Amino acid sequence: MIKVEKLNSGYGKLQILFDIDLEVPRGEITTIVGPNGSGKSTFLKSLFGLTDIFSGRITYQGKDITYIPPHEKTKMGISYLPQTNNVFTNLTVRENLRIAGYILNGEELEERINFALEVFPELRGILDRKAGSLSGGQRQMLAMATALVRKTKILMLDEPTAQLSPKLAQVIFDKIVELRDNYDITPLLVEQNAKRALEISDVGYMFVSGRVAYGGSAESLLNHEKFQSYFLGVVGIEEC
Amino acid sequence: MIDVLIGAMVWSNLLVLLALGLTMTYITTGVPNFAQASFAIVGSYIALTLLRLIGLNPYLSIPVTFILGGILGLSTYYIALKPLIKRKASIEMLMIATLAWDLILFGIIGAYSEVLSAITKKTETLFVFTSLDFNIYGIPGRLIVSSLLVLLTILGLYLLLYKTKFGIALRASMENPSLAEAMGINVENTRLFSWFLSGALACMAGSVLPYLQEIVPQTGYFIVVSIFAASIVGGLYHIVGALVGGYIIGISESLFTYILSILLGPGVLVYSKVISLLMMIATVLLHPRGITGTEMWRRVERWLNL
Amino acid sequence: MVELITLILFFFALYVIVSLSLNLEFGYGGIPNFGKALSVLTGALVVGGILNRLLIWYFGIEGDFISASSLAAYRMTEIVSQNPLIGLGIFLFCVTMAVVAGAIAGALSILPSAKLKGDYLGVTLLAISEVVYLILFYNTEIVGGYYGVSVPDILAFVPGEYRVYAYTVLALICALLVYLFLEKLLNSPYGRILRGHRENEDLIKAFGRDVMKLRIKTMALGSAIAAIAGVVFVFYSSSVVVNAFNRVEWTFYPFLIVLLGGKGNNKGVVLGAFIFVLLKMLIDFYKFDIKYLLHLPFEAVWLQYIVFGILALLILCYKPEGILKEEPIYTPPIKSRLKTNP
Repeated sequence: MIKVEKLNSGYGKLQILFDIDLEVPRGEITTIVGPNGSGKSTFLKSLFGLTDIFSGRITYQGKDITYIPPHEKTKMGISYLPQTNNVFTNLTVRENLRIAGYILNGEELEERINFALEVFPELRGILDRKAGSLSGGQRQMLAMATALVRKTKILMLDEPTAQLSPKLAQVIFDKIVELRDNYDITPLLVEQNAKRALEISDVGYMFVSGRVAYGGSAESLLNHEKFQSYFLGVVGIEEC
Repeated sequence: MIDVLIGAMVWSNLLVLLALGLTMTYITTGVPNFAQASFAIVGSYIALTLLRLIGLNPYLSIPVTFILGGILGLSTYYIALKPLIKRKASIEMLMIATLAWDLILFGIIGAYSEVLSAITKKTETLFVFTSLDFNIYGIPGRLIVSSLLVLLTILGLYLLLYKTKFGIALRASMENPSLAEAMGINVENTRLFSWFLSGALACMAGSVLPYLQEIVPQTGYFIVVSIFAASIVGGLYHIVGALVGGYIIGISESLFTYILSILLGPGVLVYSKVISLLMMIATVLLHPRGITGTEMWRRVERWLNL
Repeated sequence: MVELITLILFFFALYVIVSLSLNLEFGYGGIPNFGKALSVLTGALVVGGILNRLLIWYFGIEGDFISASSLAAYRMTEIVSQNPLIGLGIFLFCVTMAVVAGAIAGALSILPSAKLKGDYLGVTLLAISEVVYLILFYNTEIVGGYYGVSVPDILAFVPGEYRVYAYTVLALICALLVYLFLEKLLNSPYGRILRGHRENEDLIKAFGRDVMKLRIKTMALGSAIAAIAGVVFVFYSSSVVVNAFNRVEWTFYPFLIVLLGGKGNNKGVVLGAFIFVLLKMLIDFYKFDIKYLLHLPFEAVWLQYIVFGILALLILCYKPEGILKEEPIYTPPIKSRLKTNP
């Protein structure tokens, strides 16, 4: 669905990503893992158009979107949820959902909000609460629900389970699976919680120092020695 | 004593209107506007002109000053700030730009006051409207009008910000412009709106100000500290801060001057600025985000369910 | 014509002193000192408020402060006209006091906001300066306020027709000394840390330097220097009139000069001061001709404000680095390397 070829990007003169080749297949969960500072969050930002792209090509359903600005991408069905500040804390849950569909007209907006609430019924009881007063899990669900309002086809999530309890993290992972299975949404995750994320994923990539160190099925990555060395702490970074 | 209270309320009402604009433009554009006080004096001179040339009562000229003030606010943004923001100028440079704009307005006000004097054959460099004020059961018009203006402004802002789609978008862009942009909201509109309103409210306040005190072209330099004190004490990151800060500063200034005048005799008006300055410094030292940035305020808000 | 040139040179010297001090604070240190006028006013206050009171006490003059000041100033001037050393002694005494008072005023005024970021810093400094100005302006008992007070003529020994020239030379000497002092200072480790602080506060913190102390020190130094200009100015005009120390003349114009010349470049600031003073004095000197020539229905001073406001906006927009750009720092080791490998 998204294809990245030889992407070089960063901020200003500082290059962070080098020659990234990556593919996100439709209807599958793709997860990117890697140590801190490996450039995986920067990669999501590059896809969404929040960094400087030096060279390379990004295509979405066959269309070149390398240099398309973020709000245009939103209209094309690409959503990006940053790790923090992904909802408006001063707005109520209802207002957050309404604002997510700012570009839709009245009737369509109501329809989409109802749809988002079907997927996230947990939000129904707290519609008039301020997003700032929600728990971490509720906030993450609200953020994902806002993406549904926007008719998202591909949903990029930057560490959606960071700072959540293992139990809540599982709820979020289950929701991500549900989005793939029932609503034809293609999730693209960046996760610190690598093992559990890969367990629900179809495709897995590992970034090291701004480059793709491994790409393949999630299962194969889980069993790969590089992955084990990083996340199960067998060898140090220098040896990779 | 009752006169002191009336004066305090009128001054507080006007400060609220002036601080509202300052806070709003600070939230949307991130620059403290040093020309805010001059906006008010421009409003005073627009009201004076309409009074002298077509005999319009300054209260009735408020709709005109509102609109012209809005245009003034917009041109401040378009001429002095937007070109710099586009070039990614630092906040210090933007502040110098508002100082420069303030000086330009000061020059225009001064020049205009002399032009107007030449037309009306009177001295227009110093004027008051006090003798024109009306009275209902002993309550002076300036108190009624300024209170009404504040009420209308708050009501209007509340309806706009909480009940319309544009308003929700405004609040969203004030809180997190980049996220709002990602949702397809044009954040530039928020800036334009806040600058229009800032100029409009300030000029509106300016057309009532001559009922309270003498106006000279330099009056802006006299009131600017009070406006900043109101916004900072109330909290620069919250619109409601202007309301809270405006009344705290307005009433403290008036009462402090009153007590001083009993102790020391007349001529102590200038010391009212000392109390504003001290309150501002205390805020900056203890809690730079002001009253509306405190935990206690957040609890009050939750309790009010705002 | 000689009169105009002297006038230009005198104010050039004054603005060089004040703008260089602002360049230290803002250009090198990144502190937006929108309360610059306060430090110049402090210099005036030292002469009008402290020296005058000492003289009144010394001569045992009775009566209200303003008229007693006139008498004291007159008597002191008489003495100075016979004895040049006393005049110079008074000048040095006042400069010393002004440096101390300026340093204290500068340090105190930044104290509340020294930890905060640029906007709060600038607003607080402006507010403090404005309130002090307003009090000194409206309260005529401190330093004469809007009436003004006389101060002695410390160069009374110079024959009347050369007096203005003597003051101009004195001002130019002060400006030169300030320039040399600052050039030396800014090439010291302190100067490099100051620039580093402007670019990246956290870096300085990481090097174990206290940002707050650095800012207080810089403001103390900058205000001490600018206070000297206040002293020279009031002796030159033989009076203190508080209006002369307003925000436009001594805060905004120095900012305009620093921007025009190039912030972070002392040579540029000197050049900027010259261009600015030339323009300002020409407008001041020919104000009646300008008014007549352009058929202005108002005083030319308003036009001056508008012109300088627009000039500042144009510089901010089109030439924010000024006429002369900031030079890179060459420490001795770098210099020697540049010599060996050009």
